[in-house]
Amino acid sequence: MTPLIYSTLIISLGIGTTLTFASTHWYLAWMGIEINTLAIIPLMTQSHSPRATEATTKYFFAQATASATLLFAATSNAFFTGSWDILQTNNPLTYTLMTLAMAMKIGLAPLHSWMPEVMQGLTLLTGLILSTWQKLAPFCLIYQIQPHSPNLFMALGLLSIVAGGWGGFNQVQLRKILAYSSIAHLGWMVLILSFSPPLTLVAFSTYLMMTFSLFYSFMMTKTTHINSLSTSWAKIPTLTALTPLILLSLGGLPPLTGFLPKWMILQELTKQDLALVAVLAALFSLFSLYFYLRLSYAMTLTMPPNNPAGTLPWRLNPSHNTLPP
Amino acid sequence: MSYLMCVLLLGLVLGLVAVASNPSPYFAAMGLVVVAGVGCGVLVGTGGCFLSLVLFLIYLGGMLVVFAYSAAMAAEPFPEGWGSWPTLRLVGGYLVGVAVARGLLGKNWYEEDWSGFDSILGLTVLRGDVGGVSLMYSSGGWLLMGGGWVLLLTLFVVLELTRGLGRGALRAV
Repeated sequence: MTPLIYSTLIISLGIGTTLTFASTHWYLAWMGIEINTLAIIPLMTQSHSPRATEATTKYFFAQATASATLLFAATSNAFFTGSWDILQTNNPLTYTLMTLAMAMKIGLAPLHSWMPEVMQGLTLLTGLILSTWQKLAPFCLIYQIQPHSPNLFMALGLLSIVAGGWGGFNQVQLRKILAYSSIAHLGWMVLILSFSPPLTLVAFSTYLMMTFSLFYSFMMTKTTHINSLSTSWAKIPTLTALTPLILLSLGGLPPLTGFLPKWMILQELTKQDLALVAVLAALFSLFSLYFYLRLSYAMTLTMPPNNPAGTLPWRLNPSHNTLPP
Repeated sequence: MSYLMCVLLLGLVLGLVAVASNPSPYFAAMGLVVVAGVGCGVLVGTGGCFLSLVLFLIYLGGMLVVFAYSAAMAAEPFPEGWGSWPTLRLVGGYLVGVAVARGLLGKNWYEEDWSGFDSILGLTVLRGDVGGVSLMYSSGGWLLMGGGWVLLLTLFVVLELTRGLGRGALRAV
């Protein structure tokens, strides 16, 4: 891709999210989201393979549907309340439709089925942008919706934790595992949104940091499958030692940072007298922990069969520096 | 005036049925032209004459023309019109659906319940949306530029996707 087009697309990604963050009018928020969707399409097809084109098409369909639903919800809000202000969504039809539209945008269950297939067709860098940056703008809108009852958010959150954990259970492709991990974490974030929005932001920021690190470590060792992950331990030994910490942090084990949002969310749920929800969320996160543990087992804790030359890659000069490839 | 609006809205529903009943793209494009034309008429009747003009120029005269040329390139030897049974069945189904919807939801069916852009009774040149147009170019200047940027971005995206000979995404497949 020519540098001019590439920089136009990256700048438009930035403009889109900034526009949604800075907006109080629904049109402007929708415009920012559309800019994000459009700008990432060529980035996704960069590898010019049929799989990438298929992933891009699926992504475009899912995002276009969600954007159209968002626009419809905003227009019906203007019809009922006479205001285009984002903070004036009082009508049940409006905030339900908006919640569902944004849930489809970020990949919450039961609207999550596009996420693993789309992530599988992308390079790791584009998958990283999709998992982190593209979630910011819809999340900003979810944060500002003020529903009258927490039921929808809790249902979406719990379903996403279940779907993210159970769905990722049998995966061997790392990008699909990362997609399911994203679904589960977004479920935790949305679960607590009606009770304590700052906790949602804590969960989101820790998720961003952890998933960025994990994507990056996979990028550095250039692994996309558990098979290649298991023979990549000799490439960058320091990374081999540190990646289990990232994985266990994603799984939510103390004393790592990933435990903090889960702990506080469970505490807030019990304070709201929702102990059963808290127990279910914690139990279904065990599924996610299982596949994070499987990844650290494959990478660090065991040495799968390989010829002796497989112990030597660390002796070679790295093929690229650690800045983004 | 009411009679004209009635005819235009009837044309809108019939054109919608014509497009949705899945004929061959030739005929569906004709349905789209009819829908766009009478839709513009409805807009003029309720007071949005500038919007109607822009819709005619850009949608009908720009996008639909391009679509008609693309449909012509995808020519088929036996195009299916509205005389074939599958299409006619769908037409019947949709007309029944419209009747059911009228029965269930048709409270505000009459024209005086419509809130148009203004309350001028008659087809004058300056109607209700002229104030909005001037605002779009004055206070809404930044948003207009943002809209222009989005269109330019779409152009770059489409150009990048359809570059030929392996440098784009669609030809390589």
